Amino acid sequence: MSEGSTQDQPINSLGVLLAHALAMETDAADRYGELADQMEMHRKKGVAGIFRRLQNAEQKHLAELEELTAEMDLPHIAPWDFKWGGESPEAIAVGRVSYHMSVKGAVLLALDHEKQAYEFYRRIANQTSDSEVRRLARQFADEELQHVAWLEEWRDKCGPDDEKPLDDPDPPLSQE
Amino acid sequence: MESCAQKKTYKAKDYKSELKPIWCPGCGDYTVLNSITRALAELGLPPEEVAVVSGIGCSSRIPAYTSVYGFHGVHGRALPVATGLKLARPDLTVLVTGGDGDGFSIGGNHFLHACRRNVDLTYIVMDNQVYGMTKGQASPTTAPDWEGSKLTPDGTGINPFQPLVVGLASGANFIARVSASDPINMAKIIVEAIQHPGFSLVQVLSPCVTFRPEQQEWRDIVRTAVVDYTDDAARAARRLMTDDGFNVGKVLYKGSRPPFRPEFEHTDGSVAELEARFAL
Repeated sequence: MSEGSTQDQPINSLGVLLAHALAMETDAADRYGELADQMEMHRKKGVAGIFRRLQNAEQKHLAELEELTAEMDLPHIAPWDFKWGGESPEAIAVGRVSYHMSVKGAVLLALDHEKQAYEFYRRIANQTSDSEVRRLARQFADEELQHVAWLEEWRDKCGPDDEKPLDDPDPPLSQE
Repeated sequence: MESCAQKKTYKAKDYKSELKPIWCPGCGDYTVLNSITRALAELGLPPEEVAVVSGIGCSSRIPAYTSVYGFHGVHGRALPVATGLKLARPDLTVLVTGGDGDGFSIGGNHFLHACRRNVDLTYIVMDNQVYGMTKGQASPTTAPDWEGSKLTPDGTGINPFQPLVVGLASGANFIARVSASDPINMAKIIVEAIQHPGFSLVQVLSPCVTFRPEQQEWRDIVRTAVVDYTDDAARAARRLMTDDGFNVGKVLYKGSRPPFRPEFEHTDGSVAELEARFAL
């Protein structure tokens, strides 16, 4: 079912690196989109806007990667055989969000995951013995750093209102 | 000459519909939906060869959010519908999804007999120990001292239903427990459950963040089960009877009982012929 390698081994194949990158960007774009949808469904426009903007940024990355790999025959890796173990580093865990989440809370959560994505590529670049894998992993790491910088800027611009948990004008009540 | 026929590959999103889920942000059911679609993609099953059947409840909305065949049935009756579908169309991969209230209360007797019949189904139960859709009442799996509902202000005082023990005793052929906080492993186990012949029961600890917000701590409480699965039902029963409900992430039991696959006489499909067969 899977041609992936074990998680503690370095990545020395361009195809394996690109398969990881494609999966990570797909997961990130999908997850940010899901979170934006959830927040829009619950009328939390500020938080939804953050996730939607991140979805668009990840979709741009993804489109570039898909273009780069369009003619390549990448190895199939099962979801549980990727190097990161669990969900990919850029995908925010569904259980970590809430409709009470503040704008700043969403920014910090996304920042945490963008840093994890950067760290993943940085580690791949440091561990690999293949020069092309190293070059591309560094390029991907730099791209993740751009997201980190953008989110840090956003975090620093957050005012007191952005730190408040969002009100719920119609809170869930247990049935009488 | 190389064959032109190549197996089509699918992505998880190929199994999702255009409908946006309305679950609460943070709900474990999002994760289950993602794990199901990942599992189907990994198995490479064409969407038109899969059906998802459900009853009523938050988690029972899953068929609407998938692109495969779906049947959103009545409360507690997902398993009989799925049983009929699988017997009529054994070529389909049939998943059943629902919650603890739907499956173990109003659908409790169907659950027993679905395990006993051992039809080749995969039953994924999102267990949050509460009726969420009706605003937070105690369900069959709720702890007896839970005081969160005004209907049971001092708790139910009733022992919770033990779905895996009951499922095992009733004849389920595959039993696993997973956590919504580990979606990738959940996908792997759903793949195994689908591949294992007979009735497969997968209990998912899926927090209700709205009516049981304390369940968000489950992600820190759950632990990976230390033992691998057994094919010995008696050993599995002993393990499950001494289990606190938070050992997750592994298959606990794999049986070898052959699935129930009755042979049917082929008919021309006419109503008249059917009526003739049932005539007294």
